[in-house]
This record gives sequence, C-alpha cells and structure tokens, in this order.
Amino acid sequence: MVRTSVQHAVLAGAVALGLGAALSVDAQAFPEKPVTIIVPFGAGGGTDITTRTLAGPMAEALGTEIVVKNTAGAGGTIGAAETARARPDGYTVGMMPVGPMTTQPHLRRLPYGPDSFDYICLAYSAPSSLVVRKDSPFNSLKDMIDYAKANPGKLNYGIQAVGSIPHVAGLGVKEASGADFQFIPFKGSAPTFKAMLDGTVDMFVAHISFLTKNADQVKSIAMLMDERVATAEDLPTAKDQGFDLNFPIWGGIVAPKGIPAEAKEKLEAACEAGMKSDAFGERMSQLRMPVTYMSGSDFEAFVRSEFARNEGLLAKAGLKKN
Amino acid sequence: MDALSLGIGHLLTLPVLVSVFAGTVLGVIVGVLPGLGSVVGITMVLPFTFTLGQIPALALMLGIYCGSVYGGSISAIVINTPGTPQAAATALDGYPMARRGEADLAIGWTTAASVIGGLFSVAVLIVAAPQLAAFSLNFTAIEYFALGVFALICIANVSRGAMLKGLLSGVIGLFVATVGVDHVTGDMRFTFDNFEMTAGISLVPAIVGLFALSEVFVRASETHVLKETSMFRVGFRLPPWSEWKPRLGILFKSCAIGSFVGALPGTGAATAAFISYSEAKRSSPRRDRLGTGEPDGLVAAESANNAVTGSAMVPTLALGIPGDPVTAVMLGTFVVHGLAPGPRLFTEHLDLVYAVFFILIAVNLLMFVVGAVGAQAFTRVLRIPEPILMASVVVISLIGAYGVRGNPIDLIIAFVFGVVGFLFRKNGFPLAPMVIGMVLSEMIENSLRQGLLITRGDFLAFFERPIALALFVLTAAILLWPPIRWALDRRGKANTKNMDWTSE
Repeated sequence: MVRTSVQHAVLAGAVALGLGAALSVDAQAFPEKPVTIIVPFGAGGGTDITTRTLAGPMAEALGTEIVVKNTAGAGGTIGAAETARARPDGYTVGMMPVGPMTTQPHLRRLPYGPDSFDYICLAYSAPSSLVVRKDSPFNSLKDMIDYAKANPGKLNYGIQAVGSIPHVAGLGVKEASGADFQFIPFKGSAPTFKAMLDGTVDMFVAHISFLTKNADQVKSIAMLMDERVATAEDLPTAKDQGFDLNFPIWGGIVAPKGIPAEAKEKLEAACEAGMKSDAFGERMSQLRMPVTYMSGSDFEAFVRSEFARNEGLLAKAGLKKN
Repeated sequence: MDALSLGIGHLLTLPVLVSVFAGTVLGVIVGVLPGLGSVVGITMVLPFTFTLGQIPALALMLGIYCGSVYGGSISAIVINTPGTPQAAATALDGYPMARRGEADLAIGWTTAASVIGGLFSVAVLIVAAPQLAAFSLNFTAIEYFALGVFALICIANVSRGAMLKGLLSGVIGLFVATVGVDHVTGDMRFTFDNFEMTAGISLVPAIVGLFALSEVFVRASETHVLKETSMFRVGFRLPPWSEWKPRLGILFKSCAIGSFVGALPGTGAATAAFISYSEAKRSSPRRDRLGTGEPDGLVAAESANNAVTGSAMVPTLALGIPGDPVTAVMLGTFVVHGLAPGPRLFTEHLDLVYAVFFILIAVNLLMFVVGAVGAQAFTRVLRIPEPILMASVVVISLIGAYGVRGNPIDLIIAFVFGVVGFLFRKNGFPLAPMVIGMVLSEMIENSLRQGLLITRGDFLAFFERPIALALFVLTAAILLWPPIRWALDRRGKANTKNMDWTSE
C-alpha cells in the first residue's frame, strides 16, 4: 500500500546502473511480495488507526508494501486465529491487542494461545485510567473505596466487554481494595460512557486518549500505571495511592509460529524503524499516546506475564472457563 | 453571528467543497452496492482523513455517511436488495413499484424524502442539539428496553395479512441474533463448538442472502418467460405536488421519528425506518396498499432513515458519544486536532459546529443532484437481460457479504440465508419481520439484562421510570386497540361479521 515513488526511482536507477544481477539475487530474500497485517477489529477503531499509522513508515523500512486487513469478530479472536493459522512465511502477521492475546484465551477454548505465535514487537501501550464523572464526589481511589465499604452493593462499574482489560482491571481494583461493586457489561466504550453520563454507572476504566478527549465531562481518580505518564504528569497513579494496579492497553505484532529467522529479523527491524520514525511519533503525540517499543523477545516475555496475571484475576472472579 | 459567518467560511473553500462532493458521490456508490455501506466507505478514505485538514475530513465523512444511507434505497428499489440494512423497509414498497415499471418514480419519491428527512434533522440539530442531548441522557438501559419492546410492534404491523407467518419470521430473526457471544456473561451460544460461529451472524451477510440471493433463486425457479424489459422506464421522475399533499403528514411524522431515534446513540437508521414504516402502516389512510408499491412506504422509510443522519450528530458533538463506527471516526479527527467534543464545543468552537451544519445541508442538497443524475444509470439496470443481471447480483452481493468482516464464514451465512429467504418467499412468509427481529434483538436483550443488573434483579422497578412506563403503556394500547375497537364496533352495530383483526 505504501511503496513510494522514490523507492521505484531508486530501484529503476539501480537496475540501470547494471546492478540488476546483484539485485535479482537479493530479490529472492524476504520480502519479495507485500506483507499483510491482520487487525482483529473493525476499521476506524483504536487498534486499526495505530496499525495504519505504523504501516506507512514500517513499509518504507521493510521495502515492500503493507496491506492492512480487518478481520473483526468475537472480541478479536477470529482475527487472532486467522493470524495463528496463516502460513508461517512472514508475509502474514497480526496486530494483536491485549484482549485476544491475554484475556480471551481464558474465557473459552480457542484455537490458539501464546505458543501459537512468534513475537515481532510491541507497537503501542497506552495507560488506562479509572474514570468517574467530573461532578462525582470521588477524587481518589480512597474516596471510592470508603464509599463502597460504607454502602456495600451500591456502586456500579461499567465494562466495555466481559473479560476485556477494563473488566480485568476492575477485578484487580476489587481484589486490591476489598471494595464491593456491581459490574455492568455494555458493548464497547461509547455505550459505557453514555451509561456513566446518564448516571447508570459510577466509574469505568478507559484509555488515556478517552480521558483527554472528554476532559470536560470526566476525571481520572487513578492512572492504572506504576509510573506517572509523560503526557499526563499531574494525574496520580494507583501506585501513588498505595495500590499495585498496572493495566496498560497494549498491542503488538505477532507472526504465526515458525517463520524464517530472516523474516523475523527484518520485520522486527522494520517495526522498530517505523516506530522511531517522525511520522509515527507525530501521530501518536496527536492521539496523546506514548511511543512504547519492545523487541520481539521482550514482548514475548511481557505477553506471557500478562497472560498469567490475567488468568489469576479471571480465575478468582470465576470467569475462567478454559 | 460571527461564528455563523465563520462557519459558512469553512464550507466555502475549495478543499471542503471538493470533499463534500467526493464524499457524497462515494457514499451513494457504497450505499447502492449491496453489503457495502458507510463503514466500508469510511475505511476507503481513512488515510485521507488524517492528511486532510479537519473541516475537509469532516466534510468527506459526512458526505459518505448521508450518501450511503440514501444510496441503499436505490438497490432496494431496483433489485429488491437493500444496499444497506437501513434501507430494508424501503424494499417493501420500492420493489413492487419498480416491477410495475415505475422505478423512476420510486427513486423520485425516495430521493425527495431522503433529502427532506436529512434537512429536517439538520434543522433539529441546529435548533435543539444541547436540549436533545440532555434529553437522550434520560434514556438508560431500562428506557432502551422499553423502546425496543415498543419497536417490536413493527413486526405485527408489517405482517398484516400473514400474521402468524410474520410473527414466526420475527421470532426467528430475534433468535438468529443471539448466536455468538453473550455480551453479559461472555459465554458462547448456539455455536455448536464451531469456532467460526463465535463471531455470530452478522446483519449484512444475512440481509444480502435473504433479499439478493433469494431473489436470484426465486427467479431461477420460475418458469422462464422472458419479460419485455423495455417496459421499465429509465431516468428520474419527481412525483407531482398533488401526490405529495396528502402525504405531508406522514412525511413530517417520519422525519420526527427519525430525528428522535437518531438522537439516541446505538439505535440507528434501520430501527428508525422500521418504526416509521410501521407507524405509516398503522395510521395511513392508504395503509391497505402498503407493501404493494405505495409511495407512503417509501416516504416513511426514507425520510426517517435519513433524518437519523443529522440527529446522530447530537450525541456525537454534544456529548462525545459516537453512535456508530462513522461518528466514532469523526470524533477521532476532533482529538487529532486537539478539540474536545462535549458541551464546551458549542460555546468555544461554535464556528466548527456551524460548519458541520452547513456541510450537512450541502451534502443533502448534493444528494438530490447525485440521485437525479445517477438514476439515469441505476434504472437502466432493470433493462439488463435477467440472466446477466442476476449473475451480477450474486457476485456483487457476495463481495459485500465478505467485505464487512473479512470472514469467509459470512459467505456461507449469506448462502444459507439465501435458501431460507427462498423457502420463506415460496411459502408466503414475509422477510421484513426477520430483519426487524435481527435489528432489535441485541438491543432488547442487552438492555433488559443491563436494566436487571442496575435494579439488582427487580423488574417492577422498570415501571417506576416515567419514560419507560409511558412506552410500555403505549405498546399495550397499540396492541390492544384492534380487539377493543372490534368489540366496540360489534356492540355498537350488533354486527355479526367474523372477527379477523389480524388481517385488516
């Protein structure tokens, strides 16, 4: 999708200079055709937009076109399964978010798991925040917990989907604080947000870009991060308030298990170059997202630790079915 | 006043005007093609929305949004396949009209009704956006449930004459939508351990199968007498004022229904079109002809679904709550440009709000031109020899069915629904109730269960909420009125005519 005319010109020039023979040997190597990135959610959503933003500079670094394909459905698991099942040649990879990678596999039997993939890179990791209405009396986790303890069963906690990271984060808050609240599942962020504005739910967990976008109507009572966020220095973290709650909303590129080492190296290098490009950095700062890169091996270790942590929380809540 | 002129200034620049034009044309095209809709249109222009300035990006998206809702009606009329789910109610009267050789007139009705519906909702947006937004916050899960139950009456209204078959069709629709993830518990339902089925049965492939493929099967099964295709009039014909005059009541009622439903995030144009169609079927003086190519049906469905477009901006701009993927992407462009939607947008960036108003007006007017010019080409489709037309319908529909989620199982779903649609038609089961069931199922089920979680399991608490109570009472009144009227008539006239209120 993103082969530039400059590259065409360079290629043509190289051939004209008599390097054709050398190039044709090189052309056997990866990549010799476009690479497809499967996005397991619909076009226009957060994962999709981040992927399309990265695809441009990453394609330039890779020297081939990148096609973004949206395979939506069943909480992202359809697209994740399609990625896991793809031919392991490096030409099909997936941008897999935290949900289908680390929470969905515990909720039901899926045709993939953490072992089904080779890990290329972490592409984004946005802080999440426990938000309440701007006019809410709660200004800190402690306010909320004190109220919940004095009025058991009164508070409603909205979740965007059962087993999603905001839900798991809520389970984490519940476990760490001993506060009691009722989870009310909605379908996606927009109805959850509406339910908070109409007074049905008292709080929910949102992505940092949601917080900046709706600063007039909501406030954060805790960033669910260990460290303060550069783009939101003034907002206290859960850790500042004495709770160990770290629930970033992340996603990264994975390939079906067993891709050639050369393809893996090149994809990893292209991902890193793409993420460090100005174009990507600029777009992310417009979305108030930090640029957070991890190499393939770091990403794999991170996924496995998140997988185990979320398994524990879901099991304690009685939601683990697999 | 300053913001007003700034707003007009935003519209009257070359990039914005070009975007309005490109967006509207593209929107009508994706709307016409069965299966493709506004989401596919937005996907196609997504890269541009980043690089274009904010106002041109908004213009492009609003053009696609309004154009696609209108465009769906054209294929509903010409090939009996709603181009988008929103146009499903339009096929009920549009296609019979086209079969009579009046496709040009049917497109005239829907184009004019769409434009009036669209402009009406812009007027609503201009006059009452903050108030409507505040009102929409009175609608919690409990009110959504009551509204969903109220909308179920549509099934009965569009099934007159075949009540039992219609109800059965509606129940199947309600059931079909429960396949896949249970959104309240996260469990899987009716997937038979088939992983692909966990994604559920998506509306678009089902509709493409029910309408387009079944039409092809029905034609293939009929003994072939090659019809004189040139009897179909091509082009675009506006109905005369004398035809409009008796329908103004329906027109404005439908505009109001559409504008109201549109202001509630998460309900959508398909629901609005069916509620409005069903209201016409209940109250129109020509209700007996509805379903046989009566313009009332076109006016009701198309003015209502296009009225949703303007009022869907109400929760989007005034609350920051997008109602669908299109408005969600629009909100995304606000963030990129450092603007916060919400109450403050109307005080601090009023010029931008006005720009949205003017863009919407321009898009709706342009839609009329695109419809009038495009109709010359679209109506000619009817003159394509039937075998070629039907083969093309199969190919285009399947592309649309696959395009929505990129999941191959959607092709199988479309085929299965094609067979179901074929059997339904051959046995006199109406298709529309099934679509209504599929559209309403999720809203009714989820809002009921959310409501019960909110009231901690107390269903009686639903009746303590005034709006919900009013909707329940209205539902009961409409359902009970025919037998009551029948009983009153009988007592009054001592008439011993057989009771047959189901088929009146």
